[in-house]
Amino acid sequence: MAVWIQILPGSDEPIYLQVVEQVSKAIAKGELASGDKLPAVRKLASELVINPNTVARAYTQLEQAGLVVTKTGSGTFVSDPKLRRSDAADINALAERIDTLITRALNLGIEAADLTKLFDSRLAKFAGQSDKRAGEK
Amino acid sequence: MNDTVLQAKGLTKYYGNSPAVDHLDLEIPRGCICGFVGRNGAGKTTAIKLMLGLLEPTAGSSSLLGCDSSALTPAIRQRIGYVAEGHRLFRWMTIGGLERFQRAFFPKQWDDKLFGDMMEYFDLPKRKKIKHLSNGQRAQVSLALALAPNPELLIMDDPTLGLDAAIRRQFLEGMIELIMRQGRTILFSSHILGDVERVSDRIVVIDKGVLRANCSLEQFQRAIRKVVLGFSGDVPGQVDIEGLLHCKRGDKQLELTLVGADDEKVAAFAKSIRAETYNVVTMSLEDQFIEFTAPANHKRLFQWEER
Repeated sequence: MAVWIQILPGSDEPIYLQVVEQVSKAIAKGELASGDKLPAVRKLASELVINPNTVARAYTQLEQAGLVVTKTGSGTFVSDPKLRRSDAADINALAERIDTLITRALNLGIEAADLTKLFDSRLAKFAGQSDKRAGEK
Repeated sequence: MNDTVLQAKGLTKYYGNSPAVDHLDLEIPRGCICGFVGRNGAGKTTAIKLMLGLLEPTAGSSSLLGCDSSALTPAIRQRIGYVAEGHRLFRWMTIGGLERFQRAFFPKQWDDKLFGDMMEYFDLPKRKKIKHLSNGQRAQVSLALALAPNPELLIMDDPTLGLDAAIRRQFLEGMIELIMRQGRTILFSSHILGDVERVSDRIVVIDKGVLRANCSLEQFQRAIRKVVLGFSGDVPGQVDIEGLLHCKRGDKQLELTLVGADDEKVAAFAKSIRAETYNVVTMSLEDQFIEFTAPANHKRLFQWEER
């Protein structure tokens, strides 16, 4: 896996969530593509020097989010984006997070147009993956 | 394999009139790395020595691998590794001599290759005498001596005390390496919460000799949270909510540290005392530990007076 996971003990985010978030981000950015194999639980635990149960917990969470699938006996793989779904509740939750960002931006005195620009430029960093998805449709 | 490898029932030890360990009831399941934490003088070392049968309890009992601590047989002892606080090794021995000495206690399962590889990795020649080693090197020898017998239960008393970040990491790596083997269990005490967070999946907290928590690390981290309530009018005088650890009153706000209050409870409580706003703040393990073990009416060491 060409992905670097950084563990920060002492943060207010539990370690399993740190793993979940960094793997999710790598998938969103296309650094991990559909069908890529995640390292075995024990291997990653040993590499990151964290408890194997913590890695297993992170993988379970990723699986529940639909980002990876576990095939018995062969390992954990990044799922096919076409098979991932979002429902109204997911969209709602996302909208709320966007609201938080907008609030912060407006508090900082950032203009709507600049905010849109900023959003687009950040989105471009994930572009590889989103283009690929657009092409598949 | 979900059996109990370490058990204490009402385990108590008095030194003079004060209890160092006070009616400790503890069960540790097989297969976990358990971080054993508590403030200085909380009774961790005493508890460990009682469980290993190195001290006689005033009352109560304990057992390791199903065998009473007061009567651990050599056969049971062969399955248990113990690293004492401070890595005290026989100073007059050479590393190789110490290895042969220690191996004699674990005749069946001593891993010569692992010990040799570790010494090579640490660049420690076996002919070197313990008294000529630095603290860190002594700790490295002690780590190798702990892992070589491939113990089923490894108990380490503050093994990383005073060690540099690199050697501390080697201990953590060693623990992860051991736990990967089927059915191994590790109990280690530490003051470095970041280390505990990194490798443990279970946490035991003791305070003034009394058990305060024994649960999965995840449960512990989820259970202790801070809630900040904002008020437009007066801040209520009395606060009554289950699991309240600490309450800090500010200007138009209340800061509560709670154990085991879920989102629903917090929301209902905020409504019941007419809070305008409330915010749940997650805490780092270190902050959680400090608040969890602080006395109920504790004040900050340095109070900043508003003028």
